[in-house]
Amino acid sequence: MKKFLLFVGILAVATFTTNEASAQIKVGEGQLSVALESNNIYYTPDKQMVDLGLDKPEDRVRGDFGSNDYLKVDYRLGRFSAGVQIDGYLPGLYGYDQYTYQQRDSKLTAFFTKYVQWEAENWGVRLGDIYDQFGSGLIFRTYEDRALGFNNALAGGRAYYNINNMVNVKVLAGLPRLYDVRSNNPVWGADLSLSISDMVGWYDGLVSIEGSYVGRYQKGATELFPTKEEFGTTVAGMDSDVVNMVSGRANFEYKGISFRGEYVAKLNNDKFNPALSAAKGNVINIDLGYNYKRFSASATFRRQVNMTAPIELVESGIGGGNTINYIPLITRQHTYSLANLNPYRGTSVHTGGEIGGQIDLYYSLRNPKARGKYWNFHANFSMFNTIDHKLGEMDMEGRNAWIDFNFDVERQWNKKFKTTFFYSYQRWDEEINHYDAAVAHYCDSHIFVADVTYKINKKHSVRVELQYLNSDNYEGDWLAGTIEYNLAPKFSIYVSDMWNCEAMQDGQYGNGIWNPDTLEFDDHALLHYYQVGATFTHDFLRLQLSYGRNRAGYVCSGGSCRYQPAYTGANLALTLSF
Amino acid sequence: MKKLMFLMLAVMVGFGASAQSLPDVKVENQEGKVISIQDLVDGTPMIISFWSTTCKPCIMELNAINESLYEWLDEVDMKVVAVSVDDARTVSRARAMTQGQGWDDYVCVYDKNQDLKRAMNVSLTPHTFVVDGKGNIVASHSGYTPGSEQELFEEIKALK
Repeated sequence: MKKFLLFVGILAVATFTTNEASAQIKVGEGQLSVALESNNIYYTPDKQMVDLGLDKPEDRVRGDFGSNDYLKVDYRLGRFSAGVQIDGYLPGLYGYDQYTYQQRDSKLTAFFTKYVQWEAENWGVRLGDIYDQFGSGLIFRTYEDRALGFNNALAGGRAYYNINNMVNVKVLAGLPRLYDVRSNNPVWGADLSLSISDMVGWYDGLVSIEGSYVGRYQKGATELFPTKEEFGTTVAGMDSDVVNMVSGRANFEYKGISFRGEYVAKLNNDKFNPALSAAKGNVINIDLGYNYKRFSASATFRRQVNMTAPIELVESGIGGGNTINYIPLITRQHTYSLANLNPYRGTSVHTGGEIGGQIDLYYSLRNPKARGKYWNFHANFSMFNTIDHKLGEMDMEGRNAWIDFNFDVERQWNKKFKTTFFYSYQRWDEEINHYDAAVAHYCDSHIFVADVTYKINKKHSVRVELQYLNSDNYEGDWLAGTIEYNLAPKFSIYVSDMWNCEAMQDGQYGNGIWNPDTLEFDDHALLHYYQVGATFTHDFLRLQLSYGRNRAGYVCSGGSCRYQPAYTGANLALTLSF
Repeated sequence: MKKLMFLMLAVMVGFGASAQSLPDVKVENQEGKVISIQDLVDGTPMIISFWSTTCKPCIMELNAINESLYEWLDEVDMKVVAVSVDDARTVSRARAMTQGQGWDDYVCVYDKNQDLKRAMNVSLTPHTFVVDGKGNIVASHSGYTPGSEQELFEEIKALK
């Protein structure tokens, strides 16, 4: 708590000393820029949640305060740039997988990333930590996602050379970061892209073909995971200490029509789940896009088998961030809380293979003379199945894992008044989505949202959001509401609540405590997940303070999810950049 | 923790009023071609807005700017650059959305591996920058509240 107060104090000083709009720092001829992000939670005891067994304070082995902080400093002088980032966990917040790889009760951990870079007109070199991706990242991607606590930056070198936009060659090698430790497993790769349209001088559209190679070495992988007999079946092991992957891609774009296709093959046995067989893998991904005036459509199809490529094969507790490639979930990522109550988490970790796709349709209806009035329509459908395939010697059976259909319509009535109505239907296989074999059945829910914004005048506005989730299985019905008051451009305050208004008998994730004597849920089990918060923004500073009760659940960002345990507490989030 | 704060304070001391310029970072344009963000510097002031398909306030802000854009253009010459930081999961959705939301007066670019986001030190979206005709960053704002787009317009007008 002391640290927390000290932190707030320093911030106050920082805010006042940097009161001038967009201060920047000039060092010699170059420029220095600084960004700080700090997420702090002070966990408070919550008797009701503890009684229900939802909050377990004894699990908070690092104390009642957590702080994930990122300070990034960059220097740029002409074609030269260099930078350093310090990730400090003082100690780390609960619910991040990083503690799979370090002492769970570490009070303070820090990790440094740094780089130097030279960018010339048609070539560039970077030494240090590298963030990059080949194609869409299905074969290789190093990135940072602070919401998930992932960072797999490759510490090493990268060079690229570009010939008149026609040919681009890139090579890189290094040791990836595995959460907050540096892996000893080298990863290397090369990428080539050829722009056919530039070669033949066709500038109305785009045609390109691309290919990549990526390798990873783990010393002793074959000895750690040999082929063995287990419970009468053969669990295939690693066939080499080196795992090689290759990919081919083709892109086409012409007058609103686009096609992107990618195929990646893993040429050696590999395993992402220590318990499953090692196997070769492949993925095919096709993106189609079309737009005409204010109508646009996009569709994605993907089939993948055993394509998750971990940084390190470990005997247990792998963590979603232990990966050198990126196979994102391509279902819609929801922003309304009830639509996000049970997000699709992917089938691959469970079974090693999936097939599916999604379609998005957008249409905007507007009068060119009155820009302040318009309708925006959006429909989205996605479906994923596990597939029949062989994982090593094991037969994996295919079945439907997830379906959702979403529709939303946004209407700006006039300068002051705007409404959004949203509907979502979601259906999932409980065993696959929550690894819960005990309730192996399909659950579904209908979610309705009304979101209304009223602008009182140029500075003041109110936003009200009402949500209702209807479900005859799983946890039963939920209700949620938010009221937000904004005073532009600096202040915003909100209150929100969300509760399971009809706890189901078999809903073991719900709020109800089943009382075997009365054969009913106890009344007091009706738990409100309330939040109050305020945001202050001043140029390059954003400060958000909130207090409330948070439900346990999956926090998803991009391709992955992490499990967030339930807690009640105060949250201070700060970002600062100049 | 203390070290971190001292570093921060040390940085605060060195403030000057000089302008920072746009970095030379490559992004994809609407047609899928790789361009440098500096290629967009052409003497016209611009608003650069970082957004993603999963960031509701970002979309609200871009819609609000879109509503007022013609009124603003009556007074000043300017352009709006919408930088999508969507990754492979959502970038095709982002491309479709720019059309389906009627953002056809915007210059839309795609920062799929967040190189520009990192180079411009954007931690959270929405984040907007006001850039003058020479490519100097004159203002930076994080977050959006309805009506705060007016501040961006005032800053663009002040560049005249």
